[in-house]
Amino acid sequence: MHTAHKKTLLLIGILLSVSMLSSLPLFAISAEEIIRKLEENQVHETARSEGKMIINDRFGEKVTTFKSWAEGEEKTLIEFTSRQERGQKILRTDDEIYLYFPDAAEVIRLQGAALRDSVLGSDMSYEDMTGGKGLLDSYRATLLGTEKIDGQECYKIELKAKGRGVPYPREILWVDSEIFVTRRVHMFSLSEKLLKEMRIEEYRSLKGKTFPVRFIIEDKMKRNSSTEFVIESIEIGVDIPSSRFSLEELTW
Amino acid sequence: MKLRKIAWRNIRRNTRRSILSMSAVAIAAMAFVFLFSMIEGMKQDVAYNLQTFVTGEVRIRHSEFEKYKHLNPLHLGVDNYTALAERLESMEAVRTISPRIKFPTAIYKEGSTYRAQGQGVDFEREAEYQGLEEYVVKGRMPRNGQNEVLVATGLAKEMNLDIGDNFTLLTQTRGRGMNAITFKITGLSHYQFDGLNNSFFQAPLDRVQYFLRMDNSVSEILIKLKENYSAEEFAAGLNSSLTDWGRPQLEARMWKDISQTYSFVVMADAIYFIIALMFFLLGSTVIINTMMMTIFERRKEIGTINAMGMTGPEIVRLFFLEAFFIAAIGSFVGVLAGIGITYPTSIYGLNFSAAMEGVDMEVSQILRPVLNFKSTLFVFLYSTFIASVASFIPSRKSAKIKPVEALRAI
Repeated sequence: MHTAHKKTLLLIGILLSVSMLSSLPLFAISAEEIIRKLEENQVHETARSEGKMIINDRFGEKVTTFKSWAEGEEKTLIEFTSRQERGQKILRTDDEIYLYFPDAAEVIRLQGAALRDSVLGSDMSYEDMTGGKGLLDSYRATLLGTEKIDGQECYKIELKAKGRGVPYPREILWVDSEIFVTRRVHMFSLSEKLLKEMRIEEYRSLKGKTFPVRFIIEDKMKRNSSTEFVIESIEIGVDIPSSRFSLEELTW
Repeated sequence: MKLRKIAWRNIRRNTRRSILSMSAVAIAAMAFVFLFSMIEGMKQDVAYNLQTFVTGEVRIRHSEFEKYKHLNPLHLGVDNYTALAERLESMEAVRTISPRIKFPTAIYKEGSTYRAQGQGVDFEREAEYQGLEEYVVKGRMPRNGQNEVLVATGLAKEMNLDIGDNFTLLTQTRGRGMNAITFKITGLSHYQFDGLNNSFFQAPLDRVQYFLRMDNSVSEILIKLKENYSAEEFAAGLNSSLTDWGRPQLEARMWKDISQTYSFVVMADAIYFIIALMFFLLGSTVIINTMMMTIFERRKEIGTINAMGMTGPEIVRLFFLEAFFIAAIGSFVGVLAGIGITYPTSIYGLNFSAAMEGVDMEVSQILRPVLNFKSTLFVFLYSTFIASVASFIPSRKSAKIKPVEALRAI
């Protein structure tokens, strides 16, 4: 369910969340193995969480609260609960994003350029929530070496897109070499420009898994802007009816 | 008196040549009476469009709104606008006001996305402020309090929409979140300038406030003044009043300070004066040529009158008067012809819709020239002056002819 978290968090904008299975000597494993461990760590059947998104930009701070449900790698539903956005929902199934708004008579299916729009003015785009395949299906991974991030030894891994179906053609991941969680991610454009940075600030362990519960995304194309995601409560392995991720139920 | 008679007689000696010289000045004068009328018409047209649809005569906005305009800063609005509207409407100089919310949006229809510019307006006020009913070409105006919308014909055509259709729009709210709402189309609008005919729609202000989470705020208030009130003075006074009313964050600006379009038209006006100068100089070359030929032809005559006692300056004045009469008559005829062309076109207008298609300026597709007494008088005096002055060069030459040399040809 790491990816479920990933989706849970991704839904809010995170690309990776990781928990650690074991620690291995540095350089004893390849980049692919590190990524595999990262992803194995993420496989949960279901997850339910509540949290908040704190957006800071030049105009001040804005807090949005949400609930989310995730099943497997490719199904995520987020429902916003803060006053301004109450009742709004984002449903992600496979590679499709659907938006539900209580005052709109139709469900909006996002596609094309609209996927690059920001989610509720945050530093995360809808596009960041797509791409449910495993990282190794979409990217070629190369281990660049090790670096210390926040005092922790990390594997520095470069991901290069195999095709066009990903939001970022190149990413650099710093994966904690002991607990196999992502500590930092840089996302680049085709022209090698740093587009976004994600920093994981806090982790939590549950049922033998370790996953991020507080992380910050910065859209480098925006000035003085950052979005902090905080997972305040999370349950994994809970019963979620599969109809929850259907378009019919979205409008209920 | 005698010189004038001689000059006039000389003009009539070769009528065809004189008419040709006059025609050159007349054509230039005619063209510029018409062009200056077009510019005047365009100035009035742009002023009306700006004041009615874009800026008002005076516009009130949050002073920081312009700085962050590209970010759609709805939170930098005019809060508690109803209280401010009441104060404004009680002011002697104010004729009518229009509170509005402008917002960019994405419209979704059957899986396709269209970008558009929305405007929340109070339809009851707009009936008076912009005479909105005049621009509703199909259906009816939306009603306040209803999820109804008036869509520009260009947008309706692009999206294949018609009366009774729904569309859902998605946009950023005041709190920088997102929201979507579905509106029903009750009317199609077509304005006189293209900027409002494409990707534009208007919805009831109260519904727009609701879905943008604006509470009792608007993004701007436009003000139209009664006649004889200066927008500049009113804006200056209003800025002091806004501070006194505890709203120092708001700013009132007059329309000429806001829009660049009017500045462009004013600039075009100035450029036309320079172009006019060139045209009149060009027209004057015909007069100069005629005068030079006349002087050459009349060398013997000049020699004779010089020998009879006419002084050099008198001879210069004679030829200058000839040129002046030609220029004055040519200008007068040209101005009359210009008025003759301008008058009917000012009634029926000139259709520039093909040329103006897609031009995002507040210039109407059908332009009506407006005859301006000052510019018409200016064209007459200007063309007469330029042509007369230009003829001074050959006239001076006539004075240099020596009687002995001139008479030797006899």
